[in-house]
Amino acid sequence: MNSDYRRLTLLILFCLIHCKTAYTQVQHDILIEQILESIAPEFSEDHDYSEILERLNHYRRSPLNLNIANKEQLQELFFISPVQVRSIINHREENGLFIDVLELQSLPGFDPQTIRWLLNFIVVLPPGELKSISFNKLLHKAEHDLMLRFGRVLEKQSGFSASGLSESNYAGSAMRMFTRYRYNYSNVLFASLNMEKDAGESLTLGKGGKGFDFYSANISYKGNGIVRKVIAGDYALQFGQGLGIWAGAGFGKGANLSTIAKQDVGLRPYSSVNESLFMRGIAGTFRFKAISVTPFYSGRRIDAGRAESGLEVSSIQVSGLHRTRTEILNKNVLSQRIYGANAQFNTGDLSAGFTAYHNRFSLPFAEGKSLYQQYNFKGSTLNNISLNYSYTFRNTYIFGEAAHSLNSGFALLKGLVSSIAPPVSLVMLYRNYDRNYHSFFNQGLAEASNAVNERGFYSGLSIRLNRAWELYTYSDFFRFPWLKFKVDGPSSGYELLGQISYTPGKLFKLIGRFRQQTREENAEEDGSGLDIVDKQDLRVEMTCKISNDFSIRNRAQIVRYQKGNQNPEFGFMSFQDIIYDPMGSKISGNLRFAIFETSGFNTRIYTYENDVLYSYSVPAYQGKGVRFYINGRYTLSRRTDLWLRYSLISYANQETTGSGGDLINGNKRSDIRLQLRFQF
Amino acid sequence: MGSAGTALQDVWALQQNSAGAASIEHAIFALGYEQHYLNPELSTQSAVLGLPVKKHVLGISLQRYGITEYLEQTAGLALSRSFSTALSISLALKYHQVSIPVYGNGHAISVEAGMQYNLNNRIRLGSYIYNPGGSRITELSGSHISSGISVGLAYLVSDKVLFISDVDKMIDFGMNIRMGIEYQIIGRFYLRGGLSANPFLQTGGFGLKHKKFSLDAAISSHPRLGYSPNLSFNYEF
Repeated sequence: MNSDYRRLTLLILFCLIHCKTAYTQVQHDILIEQILESIAPEFSEDHDYSEILERLNHYRRSPLNLNIANKEQLQELFFISPVQVRSIINHREENGLFIDVLELQSLPGFDPQTIRWLLNFIVVLPPGELKSISFNKLLHKAEHDLMLRFGRVLEKQSGFSASGLSESNYAGSAMRMFTRYRYNYSNVLFASLNMEKDAGESLTLGKGGKGFDFYSANISYKGNGIVRKVIAGDYALQFGQGLGIWAGAGFGKGANLSTIAKQDVGLRPYSSVNESLFMRGIAGTFRFKAISVTPFYSGRRIDAGRAESGLEVSSIQVSGLHRTRTEILNKNVLSQRIYGANAQFNTGDLSAGFTAYHNRFSLPFAEGKSLYQQYNFKGSTLNNISLNYSYTFRNTYIFGEAAHSLNSGFALLKGLVSSIAPPVSLVMLYRNYDRNYHSFFNQGLAEASNAVNERGFYSGLSIRLNRAWELYTYSDFFRFPWLKFKVDGPSSGYELLGQISYTPGKLFKLIGRFRQQTREENAEEDGSGLDIVDKQDLRVEMTCKISNDFSIRNRAQIVRYQKGNQNPEFGFMSFQDIIYDPMGSKISGNLRFAIFETSGFNTRIYTYENDVLYSYSVPAYQGKGVRFYINGRYTLSRRTDLWLRYSLISYANQETTGSGGDLINGNKRSDIRLQLRFQF
Repeated sequence: MGSAGTALQDVWALQQNSAGAASIEHAIFALGYEQHYLNPELSTQSAVLGLPVKKHVLGISLQRYGITEYLEQTAGLALSRSFSTALSISLALKYHQVSIPVYGNGHAISVEAGMQYNLNNRIRLGSYIYNPGGSRITELSGSHISSGISVGLAYLVSDKVLFISDVDKMIDFGMNIRMGIEYQIIGRFYLRGGLSANPFLQTGGFGLKHKKFSLDAAISSHPRLGYSPNLSFNYEF
């Protein structure tokens, strides 16, 4: 009787919660964009967010059950902090299972914003009894997901006009093509295949043809016994704080404290179309009680430019583009072989790990020509070791990593995240990277693009003033002891960010953000030392749900740039978005109209744009003009979705757009993209 | 705490906003020493005294900064008073003396005025105006006393966490935003951290209270000039 009653209560609760989560869902495009915007203060081409998009979309479709999700799974939702992850697990250990998602509100370290986000990716269900909906559906059932994407620039670009291959003439057609396939058998066995051709790359079919320009595939197994994961094919590894080895997406300093302490997920199947920073081979994670061991082997060819002698390489190329003669010549020039292992010791509060791996290249790296490259990697073998740790003590999470490239430098990072009072979180991080520290998979937190030749101290604070108002601020001071590209001397700088957000409810959000960056760079006049480069960025953004079906969003942004005593330059951008996403409708979409006027490259403004599912664009608005795009989704049937996107950028006072092979005679560039997805 | 003290209440308020001294209940005396950029020759020495007299608080502050070739000395007299539990106001006179042996000596007197207002039991606002008359040291042409205004807030986020922030604008210098946080980590032991935007400074420190004594230590870091440690000691009678 008692157990029947309990079962009934659970069932009722389940229904209630299910309805509740359905209603608390923010529109999915806005939500994921808000999360991404909070992690990256400034989008740029350097980062690859496609894996993150895929991960978030995955958990939106099959949410994590808060009552069975382990630390590693929770960490995959990278926008929650290690303190929050610990808090969820502690709550389960001390108070038993969650009955309602709203219990999160009483947990230390949680704020309404994070909870609002989190509700879209989790459910609360009793473990074992009802399982998660998606899990039930998946049980002993294979799931296929096939996606095709096509796109092209509509105007005629100069690189496609002439025949023959040169630096400004491309090998292939203007069409972009992408095929993505995912297979999931009972959440145990997975397969993934990506095939891609960028604009200008050739597609050779038939006899002797290689087909697409880029292929990436893997088969992976996930288990609960000794064998935790095994992957054959393309995979990524993320350990510690990213100094020793971190392949796949990483984040920099953003308006979100939770991503400053990187949460490593170890071995993962690689699913992005970024053509560098991944491993190809075989790897597995094996667990013996509190110790997990991950041996890995990878052998792949990478793009590199040859030095003049031809027997050495001068640099690795990461763009993944193979359109022009040089790009094709540099393709797969170098072969890279990696083997190594990580051992990680995990108890509830303490985690410590050690990684060692060996890199071998088929050609040696040449000595850098310029003085600033003097400490760059030389030779053809490299051994990396690193030690990482994290420890949770009450409301404080301590983390760090020490990495060493044998026979050269060290890199050191240590920090803490603390929730010193329920509404206050604090982060501090100190880093010290030697100028001669080398790692080919280094994504530690840094001001520069690589964690090398840098010392710095970052501190961040977030305060929730009440349910609606939240204040966030960080400061980072950094010093580059050795020269850098365009910086002929040791230099230093700092960055400050302050953000106030006002979220009175689910329907409205207002954000104001100010950012100041100061660094040093060679003065315009040769030999007259370094000039201070000062950049300020102010933006105000409002998102508002105006009816059940429509939301609007606008942003205004001003950038000021000044170098030395030169006149300051200004950039301005403003956009208006309309988002149409009715619950349960077959059609959804969004459109943007933006105007921008920037003095040039220095004041360009990067803006995140919505795109077809799993894709995104981050164009830089530069010059003077207008931008428009419309992006729609149509659900043809339960198993088939169709996306279509059209975008246009139109410059004032410009007779051409783009440069090199992308040059268009005219002031407009428009782009069209079509995507189809079948799930069966 | 990034020197963001416009809305703070303690005896050191005599140097940042003397209205903050109005809450002093017992006579209190403090000494402070700051070594600038780890240079033993360049330091600031200060002493402050707060003396409750009936409904008022009388404050005396002395400060000495510089090296033998350039020395700045300031003596201040402040009168502060709380008008209700919410509002306190203060007026101060400062006597400045600058001595540059090569050029000579100079003197001037400036006026300062401040107020603090408790919005509720968690938020206090403060503002301070210094040298609004634009007094200058006439004997040393070009040597002037800074004039400006600062506006700030102190927010008791929880029983253990205090957040302060202020905006300071000097007439002939850019605007500065400062903020700081104090965390009572255990017993009467406090950890502090702060930030100043212009000039850019990161600060950190701790405080310890024991019976009538309290000891505070902090260090500030300037990107180019380096570290400046400071130490202060209070005794409450």
